[in-house]
Amino acid sequence: MYKIAHHLAWLNLWRRKARSLLVILMIIMSLSGLLALQGLYDGMITHLINTTIRSDSGEISLYAKEYRLDKSLDHILSHVSQVEEELSRIKEISTYSVRLEQEGLIATAHKSLGGTLKGISLENEKSFGRFDTFITKGTYSFGRKNKGALVGSALADKLHLKVGNRLIFTAQDANGEINAISFRISGIFKTGNPSLDENTVFVSMENISQFLGLTESATQIALRIKEADSIKKVQKELQILFPYADILRWDELYPLLIQMRDIMDIFNLTSYAIVFIIAALGIFGVILVSVLERIREFSIMLAIGTPYKMVRTQILLEASFLGLIGYIAGTFLGWILLIYMATAGIDLRSFKAGLELYGYSAIMYADIHFYYFFQAFFAVFFATLLSVLWPLHILKRIKPIQIIQGKML
Amino acid sequence: MKLVHIYKTFYPNTPKEVKALTDINLTFKKGEFTTLSGESGSGKTTLLNLIGGLDTPTSGQIFLDDQEISAFSETQMAKLRLKNIGFIFQAYNLIQVLTVRENIGFIMQLLKFDDKEIDARISELASILQIEDILDKLPGEISGGQQQRVAVARAVASRPKLILADEPTANLDSKNSERLMRMLRTLNEKEHITVIFASHDKYVLEQSKRIIVLDDGVVIEDR
Ligand SMILES: Nc1ncnc2c1ncn2[C@@H]1O[C@H](COP(=O)(O)OP(=O)(O)OP(=O)(O)O)[C@@H](O)[C@H]1O
Ligand SMILES: [Mg+2]
Repeated sequence: MYKIAHHLAWLNLWRRKARSLLVILMIIMSLSGLLALQGLYDGMITHLINTTIRSDSGEISLYAKEYRLDKSLDHILSHVSQVEEELSRIKEISTYSVRLEQEGLIATAHKSLGGTLKGISLENEKSFGRFDTFITKGTYSFGRKNKGALVGSALADKLHLKVGNRLIFTAQDANGEINAISFRISGIFKTGNPSLDENTVFVSMENISQFLGLTESATQIALRIKEADSIKKVQKELQILFPYADILRWDELYPLLIQMRDIMDIFNLTSYAIVFIIAALGIFGVILVSVLERIREFSIMLAIGTPYKMVRTQILLEASFLGLIGYIAGTFLGWILLIYMATAGIDLRSFKAGLELYGYSAIMYADIHFYYFFQAFFAVFFATLLSVLWPLHILKRIKPIQIIQGKML
Repeated sequence: MKLVHIYKTFYPNTPKEVKALTDINLTFKKGEFTTLSGESGSGKTTLLNLIGGLDTPTSGQIFLDDQEISAFSETQMAKLRLKNIGFIFQAYNLIQVLTVRENIGFIMQLLKFDDKEIDARISELASILQIEDILDKLPGEISGGQQQRVAVARAVASRPKLILADEPTANLDSKNSERLMRMLRTLNEKEHITVIFASHDKYVLEQSKRIIVLDDGVVIEDR
């Protein structure tokens, strides 16, 4: 019986080719568009989170208690080498970076601005987050005498700084004295993290320690964790190990990223709703019209004893073929788009000015997750089921003999 | 097949009330070739629909082989129709997407006859009904007379107990009507199928062995 229903459904699908193809095309377009967009949205967020982790927070960061409320040198981490020793014993940590920063005034021949001077080790930052890849001009170095500086691109623009120019940084040292120090710019970086690009100057750890009159000190120790699953566990361990420090995860340090991710999820959900509605309405329309125009044929079938169950199976299959063909072709096209956008990326340079505000980089790469295809399947599947309910209800209600004799409809 | 005190009233107890059949008592024997005749509106179609289980009587009982089919549920009724009754309607009997061959075999397929048996039966009927040349065509590609012969083939294919035909010749010209009736009569004699028509067509009446005349829902003649 199923075989006959299947045969009839398939033949009927192609009896009205144009209509069927139109619906299938609608599903293909909306589904592949949805998949591409979802991958792109997710890719943007992943990219943002990654650059934030790579350029600043790591998966977890240690700060002296109070430091994040009052960024003064009164609240810093001391005895850093002891801390480092403890950290090197935790096997979940792949690498870490010790940083020391102070806020002050950055001045050039043109202009002066408030900013942050941050001491790092270039070698460490390279293994920590491949910081060298963020360099857009100049070199990833602090010059021959280790006295150079790397400047954020937005800050460099504001101060009209070029590689080779000098800047003077003025700030309080650990004893409360105001001091100034000058640097030659060896490189300009752009991370996409606005807090760095707009106001940070990187210099060597030795340089800043000397300037501030500190040894063995840090304002932040950022950690890279091997497995995402163990982040919370490591956080708990560290809290016990370093009760005098604030141990914060990247998502606690940058709650905005999580909010953006939630917003994107809503976006994605809305897109699924749209695909669902397009598929449901499209299939519903085609099935309803084709049931109505075949109502006499169905009546004859029912009158000669065809079980209602078989007619129901036939109509369900007709709808399923539309949904399934649309799904397969749509996900295939979407998958190709995703692969393309995940490898070649798409160039958003024309929107660059607008997007950079939010820290996006010019070329975006899409994410691909297996669950996209599952979600899409369920959207189309439920759309298909829903769309046949009303046509089936009509068939259940009719009196075949009245239709055959033209007394109904 | 036996009908006992059958009444059929449409829209009972309303101003539109129509008493289509009044106290019908009839018995049909195996192999009979009967026509229900009478003027338009006399109740022929209504009676045929009741016999075929396509409609239910307002009161009275219908028996087929000692089973009271008038008490069946819709699902039971569908099963009964599939197994025991072949239908030929006035026109457009066929499933448009299936070939003539598939249409003839449709009921046998639903009843799970095996493919060999179906093929053999199709060839046999095609030769009697002279439709061998069109077996692989679609209903839309053949004439009305051919379509009706295919409908006959489908109705008789699974050898049901009863064939019911409501005005099977109404859409045919005289030549085709005569031909269809001759073929039906041949099948009736060869396979001892019981056939009941509702018709006032002279070609149908000519071929009938028994004629039941209805008038305003009452049997006025049975010969
Ligand atoms: N579904 C229905 N609803 C209401 N009244 C009906 C219905 N079917 C038949 N009738 C009425 O019942 C009576 C008998 O109708 P029926 O169709 O049985 O006549 P008939 O003998 O087949 O006529 P014809 O030769 O025109 O086909 C008529 O008065 C008709 O109007
Ligand atoms: Mg009639």
